[in-house]
Amino acid sequence: MSTPYRQDMPPAGGFEAIKYKRNLPFRGPGGVVILAGVTAISAFGFYRMGKGNLEQRELQREKVWSRLHLVPLLVAEGDRDAYRREQAAVARESEIMKDVKDWEAGKSVYNDSRYRPSNTIVVL
Amino acid sequence: MSLFHDPATASTPYKDPTPLPDNVPKVAEVGTTSAPLKSASFFIGAHCKEFNEDFMLCKQENRDPAHCLKEGRRVTRCAADLINKLRENCFKEFEEHWSCLEYNNQEFYPCRKPEKALNKCVFEKLGLSKTIPGTPEGKTPVHELENPIFKRQQK
Repeated sequence: MSTPYRQDMPPAGGFEAIKYKRNLPFRGPGGVVILAGVTAISAFGFYRMGKGNLEQRELQREKVWSRLHLVPLLVAEGDRDAYRREQAAVARESEIMKDVKDWEAGKSVYNDSRYRPSNTIVVL
Repeated sequence: MSLFHDPATASTPYKDPTPLPDNVPKVAEVGTTSAPLKSASFFIGAHCKEFNEDFMLCKQENRDPAHCLKEGRRVTRCAADLINKLRENCFKEFEEHWSCLEYNNQEFYPCRKPEKALNKCVFEKLGLSKTIPGTPEGKTPVHELENPIFKRQQK
């Protein structure tokens, strides 16, 4: 059995055109645009950082002044306590040294009127 | 002969029980914790300016605690008076502001909203305003900025 002869022919309507031209679709903005965008964003960031640094300086000033306003109050309270403990120490010392003639309790070892805080909290 | 006792190794902290001598008038300590003090600090500075300056000048004369007891009592009375006034007049605002400070690491900037309410109330009722000395000329003080850069991140 033999098949009938058939000539191989192009598809109906002919072959499609050969693609030989460059095919480069648009793939986002160009280099100059990206560079300009990055520069703009960075510039804004630096501007805001500068502003933030100035603001931080003011926040620091606020914090320092809020503490400065409290210094007299806290020092006054501490002074009262220090005075109370000093007086108690002097009383203890004079009680211990009452038999020693010419002993002055709480007298500084230096011959001047300058105040020096006690080196010991309590001598037990 | 007295021995050196390292206070770090003591089983109980040493507390001198002796009261203040009788010739020194008694004054009630403020007894406030740090957050309310920080919240009230600028008002203490404004309300007690004379007493505070007097005390600090006295301390400059002599560092001896005995030297400035009188001025110190005035400072403490003035501060206690101001805190009582705050609690009488602006209790809610004061409470809100200092608990906000407590929750925000005692920073002022996350607590601008309660602070504004407190400043407004104190200005209306007590006539005291918060001013930060040394703010650059012609600039809005940092606590009155409308749109600050440093603020609470959470809304």
